[in-house]
Amino acid sequence: MNLATGLLHTAVLAGGVPALAALGEVLTERVGVINLGVEGLMALGAITAVAIVVATRNPTFGLLGAVGVGLAIGTLFALVTVIVRANQVLCGLALTMLGTGLAAALGKPYAGTPVPALFGPCPIPYLSRIPVLGEAFFSQNILVYVIYLMLPVGLHLLLFRTRHGLNLRAVGENPAAADAAGIPVQRIRYLYVSLGAGFATAAGAYLTLCFVPSWSDGVVAGRGWIAVALVIFAGFRPINAVLGALLFGLTTALGFLGQARNWPVAPPLLSMLPYAATLMLIVMPAAASPRVRRLMAAPAALGVPYFRDER
Amino acid sequence: MTDGPSPMVQLRGITKTFPGVVACENVDLAVGHGEIHALLGENGAGKSTLMNMLTGIYRPDAGEILIDAAQKHFAAPADAMAAGIGMVHQHFKLVPSFTVAENIHLGWDRTPVLVRDADLARRTRELAAGLGVEVRPDARVEELSTGEQQRVEILRVLSRRARLLILDEPTAVLTPKEARDLFKTLKIFVGRGNAVILISHKLDEVMGVADRITVLRGGRKVASEMTRDCSAGMLARLMVGHDILRNAPRIRSDPTPPMTAAPVLQLRDIVVTDAVGTIRLGGVCLEVHGGEILGVAGVAGNGQKELSQVLTGMSRVNSGDILLAGEDYSRRSAREFAEFGIGHIPENRLHSGLAPALSITDNSVMREYRRSPVSRRAWYRPGRARALASCIAAAAAVRVADLSMPVANLSGGNQQRLVARREMRIATRVLVAAYPSRGLDVGAIDSMMSYLAELRDSGVAVILISEELEELLNLCDRIAVMCRGAIMGTVDPKTASIEEIGLLMAGQGTFEPKPLERRH
Amino acid sequence: MSPSPSNVDTDVASFRIQRHPTPRKVTTLAARTSAVALALLTAGAALALTGASPWALVREVVADTVGSSFGLEDLGLLVSPLLLTGLSVWVALRIGAWNIGAEGQFNAGALAAAGVGLYVPGSTLFLLPLMLLAAIGGGVLWIAGPALARAYAGVSELITTLLLNFVAALLVYWLATGPWLDPGGRALGSTARIVHEIPEFWGSVHWGLPAALFLAVILGAVLNFTRWGYEIRLCGANPQAARYAGIPVRRRLVVVMLTSGALAGTAGMFEVAGTVHHLQGGISNNFGYLGIMVAVLARRSTLGVVAGAVFMALLLDSGTVLATRGVDVSIVLAVTGLVLLYTAIGDEVAHYRIVRTSGP
Repeated sequence: MNLATGLLHTAVLAGGVPALAALGEVLTERVGVINLGVEGLMALGAITAVAIVVATRNPTFGLLGAVGVGLAIGTLFALVTVIVRANQVLCGLALTMLGTGLAAALGKPYAGTPVPALFGPCPIPYLSRIPVLGEAFFSQNILVYVIYLMLPVGLHLLLFRTRHGLNLRAVGENPAAADAAGIPVQRIRYLYVSLGAGFATAAGAYLTLCFVPSWSDGVVAGRGWIAVALVIFAGFRPINAVLGALLFGLTTALGFLGQARNWPVAPPLLSMLPYAATLMLIVMPAAASPRVRRLMAAPAALGVPYFRDER
Repeated sequence: MTDGPSPMVQLRGITKTFPGVVACENVDLAVGHGEIHALLGENGAGKSTLMNMLTGIYRPDAGEILIDAAQKHFAAPADAMAAGIGMVHQHFKLVPSFTVAENIHLGWDRTPVLVRDADLARRTRELAAGLGVEVRPDARVEELSTGEQQRVEILRVLSRRARLLILDEPTAVLTPKEARDLFKTLKIFVGRGNAVILISHKLDEVMGVADRITVLRGGRKVASEMTRDCSAGMLARLMVGHDILRNAPRIRSDPTPPMTAAPVLQLRDIVVTDAVGTIRLGGVCLEVHGGEILGVAGVAGNGQKELSQVLTGMSRVNSGDILLAGEDYSRRSAREFAEFGIGHIPENRLHSGLAPALSITDNSVMREYRRSPVSRRAWYRPGRARALASCIAAAAAVRVADLSMPVANLSGGNQQRLVARREMRIATRVLVAAYPSRGLDVGAIDSMMSYLAELRDSGVAVILISEELEELLNLCDRIAVMCRGAIMGTVDPKTASIEEIGLLMAGQGTFEPKPLERRH
Repeated sequence: MSPSPSNVDTDVASFRIQRHPTPRKVTTLAARTSAVALALLTAGAALALTGASPWALVREVVADTVGSSFGLEDLGLLVSPLLLTGLSVWVALRIGAWNIGAEGQFNAGALAAAGVGLYVPGSTLFLLPLMLLAAIGGGVLWIAGPALARAYAGVSELITTLLLNFVAALLVYWLATGPWLDPGGRALGSTARIVHEIPEFWGSVHWGLPAALFLAVILGAVLNFTRWGYEIRLCGANPQAARYAGIPVRRRLVVVMLTSGALAGTAGMFEVAGTVHHLQGGISNNFGYLGIMVAVLARRSTLGVVAGAVFMALLLDSGTVLATRGVDVSIVLAVTGLVLLYTAIGDEVAHYRIVRTSGP
């Protein structure tokens, strides 16, 4: 694998983590709920996957277990934010702290042990023979294809080309109007908040099963927050989110390259690249033209709980 | 126009309470097929709340709803829609960033599962043509005028096969001609055996179009009569509960200072564009003298919001001059405008006039906190602030024991009077009042109008922006009519007719301003 | 959820549950106390599930925290940084901004102070104030970008300040293990000992604690008794109304956020010069994040911030004690999250009242 191919390959692999979580967060925020607990959910998903794979030697079980945990916690989070209608920012921060702390405590016995079974490479015939791009994009494991191709396209079609997508976007823009039109606002919010949490834990499983094949305290390293930032950068659109994640992956890969090639920049400084890059990305939309800003605007009712019975 | 064997809709004993207020108490209502039924009452009487229960948005605490003699429980708006009830709300339930076509197809099981913009637009055009309503499918709702938005709401409701159409204060956003057209459409609608409930607080309008009138007062039903058995005076008395003394605030008490010769505030060719570049005010010229009340009429959304922002220094103008007592204030800040003596009763008090979570004290001193006695140099003195707040609350007849209570706990009328008296204290030269009587009951409206008259009598210039033509005609010395960001003309309320004003509001008809008599 | 009419019919009246726009203070207090109690109970139950005996642990925790003078000194050392980061997040909340970056500003302040302390020659009397200034500068610098982006471009400060946390942590780690590493030192990733220390006033507790308490009083006074403080409160409660009152909201926002950064940076300096005396990775010890909890617990007054800081210090100290008994120290973060969650729920539930309506 030459330099460019290797770089891109790592970029794709690395970017998959925030990409998957960002896709879930796009759904959650499109129905008007902000979930800041993605970081904690990722940690929980990571440790769940590791624990299950160590016990069963089957990465698919690990992934499914992580998704299950995410859906379960997601329903609780949805209960608190959508039904009880507590402050979403606080609940998200709480979930992050809870998840990170719990995962660290549960992960103690697994620290440093390599994961015994991973998702193996799954090259696509013909496409994987294309020089440079073929090896980088089409010789990855199955999850990469799901995250970079199937999910973004699927979610884009769902949100922008279906009746259900129209209704669900209306819930995030103006729940009162959606309610008056007969759309079950609370039910839709509940569903997509839970689902989004499932994506976040799945991203954690992907992290420990495909990228860093072991658990350690702090393995998530802010990727959950990167995902939340990416959603803003992406204008709440699935395909843009995945592209942003790729950019993040590229900076991560550059950092690894620098360390491997002994560049004069110290490793910790190289590790800063992804965060700095995301910071730039998130400030960019503010500099766009008003028309672009309107297209990329957050759903108008984001973060606002819906009370039908309030005057 | 007569009831069939059983009325289409019946409400029996409906009761609903909110924190601190009984919105509806034991209300009965019956609407027959082919009937236009008016629900009359002042603001706060419970009309909208009652209808929100009929459309499934609220659930009644007690009572029953019968549709075609079968009892129904509406757990959600979808249930009411399935029963053939559709409502056009006062504050439209549309998604502003979606197009007309998208809004029409929202939450509709007839929408195709796979959606394409072109398909939706075509279907919308077909629907509109079939139902005789004119809309632009590809326009975004936030770009439409309020009249157009209302048409979208109506189209949406009609396309769901509504048999009962409920309209909440529909003419508030229409010119007189548009209102007449709407009523024509309604007559056709009921002619097919459907029914209409019209919520309004406008007596004359209701008497002109309804077959039957139910009057609500304080959450209770006080009368339900055929229109032909009613008179305006009787209805007015039922609405308010006592005889209304029609005081004529326009008549000035003697002795009054004359209107100042030189205008205290002048706008010359003001042009304001918004962030996207659309012209909101296109060359507005205005002047107002001390001791007069200038009314600004027009359907909401024609530049009134931008006008009040320019008048109070809140907005940068693209071109034109603002002169206060002859001095150029075009580049000055809002604070300097306030220091000159311009007060402002904002259109939406909870959005811009008050901080709902802060105490009554904090809200009352908002305009004067920089001056002594509330402040001395850099220090803020809570004791003096409380004293000032007490003073303002007393003047506003807000009788509350604890001024440290959040202002959100006050009723709408109390809040508005508090804001008004607070602004009147600093309005030593000009007061800009935007829709001051919106959402208030008759008593509170009377207070507001008397405050304005009081200011006028003390030599202050008052600019009253309002959509209530009657209010403007009763109180103002001159009325400027706005349409599409420009002043179409200025009329003398003593001689102008609703027709003329209506034409100007719709952007038609030019008007030759007659030289005004000066009162000396 | 429409408050479903919970009918309890008596002969005289029926009852409903209604949501009120502003909860009574008493109800909120009760809700929050129950939230904390419930969180601790949940944690205890979880511990019990792992086989440990919660009651025995509680006894040991109480004995080692408030029950001994060493324990109290440990508490005192923890209150100071928590109070300052709590004030930092709290003051930002007053104007409606979320400073999740207190952790990073803490690190920035710590490293600035350490840099000055290690490499600028001079007497302690001269250098301590210089270190403080450097730390304030570090904290302010670290929040400046996000503050300007929020005020003038509307960019969410929550995410921007947070991302900088990771950058700051990496910066401290790099300095402590790279250019500033103590070659003769025993610790692996730490600088040399910084000789300039904040003097102690009781056992090992340094003057940073009274200084922090003093700052809390000052901040509270400023917000309630100055014109500027009134303007800040108004901007936080309704920025549009503040604009109508002629207040330059954006300028105030930036100043408040910079103050917030300064406070967190100061916390970093106190930790470096008062407690740890080295710069090392992990010096921020989650103080920035725990400060969020302190600020949320505090609500409207700085007295609340002090109370919240004491509570969080107790929690943190208990965690350290439990760590010696085999319980993972990350439990503290998890329990803090639990308390925050229950507090958020409690705050919302406190809006509901049981109302008697006269029966038909």
